[in-house]
Amino acid sequence: MSYIEVNNLKKDFVVKKKREKGRLLREKDTVNALKGISFSVDKGELVGYIGPNGAGKSTTVKILSGILTPDGGSATVGGLVPWHERKAHVKNIGVVFGQRSQLWWDVPIIDSYSLLKDIYRIPQRDYEARLKELSEALQLDELMKTPLRLLSLGQRMRAELCGSLLHRPELLFLDEPTIGLDAVSKLSLREFLKWENKEHGTTIMLTTHDMEDIAALCSRVMVIGHGQKLFDGKLNDLLERFDTVRNVSVKYDAALPELVLPEGVECSKTEDGIKLSYKPSKLPTAKLLSILQDAGNISELTLQPENTDHLIAAMYKELDL
Amino acid sequence: MDIFRLYTKSIGMLLKSHLQYTSSFIMQTLAQLVMEGGEMMVVILIVDRFESLKGWTGGNLYFFFGMMSVSFYLTELFGRGITGDFPMMVRTGRLDTFLVRPRGVLTQVLCGGTDPRRITCIAVGVAALIMGSRLSGISWNLLKVFVLVESIAMSMLLILGLFMIEAIFSIFSVKSVELVNAITYGGRSACQYPIDIYPTPLRALFTVIAPFALTLHVPASWIMDKPLYGWPTWTAFVTPLSGAVVFIFMTVMFHLALRHYRSTGS
Amino acid sequence: MRAYLSVFKMRLRMELQYRGAMIGGILCQMFFGLILVALYRALYAGKPQSVPIESVATYVWLQQAFFRMMVASDSELLDKIRSGDISYDLCRPVNMYGFYYARVMAQKLMGSVMRAVPMLIMAFLLPKGWGITLPSSFSGFLACIPALALGLFCMCALENITVAFTMRTLDPRGMQGLLNLLMMTLSGNLLPLNLFPASWQKVITFFPYAQLLDAPIRLYTGEYIPADAFRVYVLQAFWVVVLISLGAAMWNANRKRMIVQGG
Repeated sequence: MSYIEVNNLKKDFVVKKKREKGRLLREKDTVNALKGISFSVDKGELVGYIGPNGAGKSTTVKILSGILTPDGGSATVGGLVPWHERKAHVKNIGVVFGQRSQLWWDVPIIDSYSLLKDIYRIPQRDYEARLKELSEALQLDELMKTPLRLLSLGQRMRAELCGSLLHRPELLFLDEPTIGLDAVSKLSLREFLKWENKEHGTTIMLTTHDMEDIAALCSRVMVIGHGQKLFDGKLNDLLERFDTVRNVSVKYDAALPELVLPEGVECSKTEDGIKLSYKPSKLPTAKLLSILQDAGNISELTLQPENTDHLIAAMYKELDL
Repeated sequence: MDIFRLYTKSIGMLLKSHLQYTSSFIMQTLAQLVMEGGEMMVVILIVDRFESLKGWTGGNLYFFFGMMSVSFYLTELFGRGITGDFPMMVRTGRLDTFLVRPRGVLTQVLCGGTDPRRITCIAVGVAALIMGSRLSGISWNLLKVFVLVESIAMSMLLILGLFMIEAIFSIFSVKSVELVNAITYGGRSACQYPIDIYPTPLRALFTVIAPFALTLHVPASWIMDKPLYGWPTWTAFVTPLSGAVVFIFMTVMFHLALRHYRSTGS
Repeated sequence: MRAYLSVFKMRLRMELQYRGAMIGGILCQMFFGLILVALYRALYAGKPQSVPIESVATYVWLQQAFFRMMVASDSELLDKIRSGDISYDLCRPVNMYGFYYARVMAQKLMGSVMRAVPMLIMAFLLPKGWGITLPSSFSGFLACIPALALGLFCMCALENITVAFTMRTLDPRGMQGLLNLLMMTLSGNLLPLNLFPASWQKVITFFPYAQLLDAPIRLYTGEYIPADAFRVYVLQAFWVVVLISLGAAMWNANRKRMIVQGG
């Protein structure tokens, strides 16, 4: 049996409609947030979980972390049913919500950690060792005495990660961890997650809108839409199957150089530069960029950001949802 | 013991954060003093004009008032998580973080809020208790002290239980502040006076549904040697336990409600 | 004037939206009213007073019915103050004191009328001595209406003074709490002013807080005879003028301070 087992998981929400004129009671609508999802995750896996807003990502994570009770189906994490054995279950997991904090706002973060130590009943020696390890890996040493509210967004996310990993969870849920972070913070966050996964074998499940997160971290990706699982497999397979075209516009200092482009890349001239369309699955972005760079001095380059929404849109088209 | 340590540590931390805004904190604490002082003044004015109330002397009235205000504001001081902050915890998603930690949700909610400004209200209540005790000529002994402590503790559980109604509603994201205020703050206003002055429906409400009569009036009147309805001594020891009953009932309801929690806040 | 009128209308419509909160509020206020009347009845049973119990009950119900007029405050405005956005508003060419005066007036008027009407109907249905009685005379009733209007003007001016304090301290709870409490006590909400000691009443009835509801209620119950009405109006109008000038001056000072700070 795998570490996480999810079988035909269902969750409905009742939504009140706006009151219509002349009616005393509001009509109710049932929304199927999850329409029977099944998957399994092994220990030590790093899984990306993607889908458009409202697809059911957060609902799944919230059920697996014991916040919500599902309306049907079953799920176990390490043999425990999250919503039945909540306390035993959450001892083994860590959760980071990208937009809300689990640390205390007005006090130095070290005080928050010390309280978390008591909440999770972490032995003092174990706590000290783990805190030292994490604060080195996350570069928190200097910040320990600073109240959370005075930290920058990137620093705050690092502090949150430290807080959610103090009790050495086997499983870490990350809900859009890189949202709003600058490029440097994103990179160091990804490095840390890789390190934690390798060093301690922590299973990590992350939801995101950022394909770069997935590309950098996850060997496996699951796509969900309209409460159903649409894809489960390797990122490359996903890119191949639902390939989207990506655009780059380049301007050179001097006249346009001769470009020798591999097959499958479309090229069109614009007023003072060129526009290229390519498929990242066939031609990795890094490779294309190096070809462009070798050809001459680039004065301006715009890479259309890749995000899951394009991918999902393409998938919807194909699956006719 | 472990929970107690966690609680004191959490409260210590909350105090630290309150004190980051010192001047505002002092101002608010003073405002609380004036507020409860105003309530007390009303009772004094009433005693001054009417002298007695259905056989209860002015001293008796101060004693009832003191019992109520000490119980009520101690609850707000220590139970702010339930009496004030809970709807916001649901709205901001803090309840979610409580649910992913290996501790009781109610414990964490209580650890998550304190209202130290109430300290001045409690001081007014204690002053009223002393004044009432002097004027009523209460001769204190160990048993009476025990009943006093029991009564205050049980009234606190009762008040906490009543505020939990609002918490339960807010789990379903239903706003009920004004309705619940009727029973909590309304209960305080009504039951700071002796219960037997009210007509039967009100008396029934505060005996059966929100049993302030049992947690507060029965023991308090026994302490003043004027047992309510002439009930025997043992009732002063037993009836306050109804506060614990209400609290346990509401705790069960609270946990049942959590199963239907939708976690929509963000 | 046009601008103020449209602000006023918009607010009225907004107030109509919150029906659920309104019903909850009415029930809560009814309950408080019942408790208070029961208390005064019990007190009267031991020692009847010169003021008859019927007028005390009437006093209580009118206070409860118009309670909303006193406590309603503009939460949107308070948020603006806390976030600092208020400085943009204050630098606009319109007179912002008048703008917010109109807003808060609409809120208080609509909020209290919509609650007062159903509450007063219910209070009329209660048995004699428990509920509200008819006004002492028709002329008393007529005299009460302008007094209520002047009371509302007074109330809004007071509210804007509280807001001005909040703009200085940026924290609404301290000063607002203190001023609200003064108001609850001195307006007769906690204890009818006519049950205060006679010597206190001479001073308290002169205070602005007594002009809000106490004066109109006394005209209604006949404690002030209609011939007194003119004197009551003059005192009320006096406070309206004083409080509005004070409030406007405070707002102005705040505006200058913010412009200097480069808000």
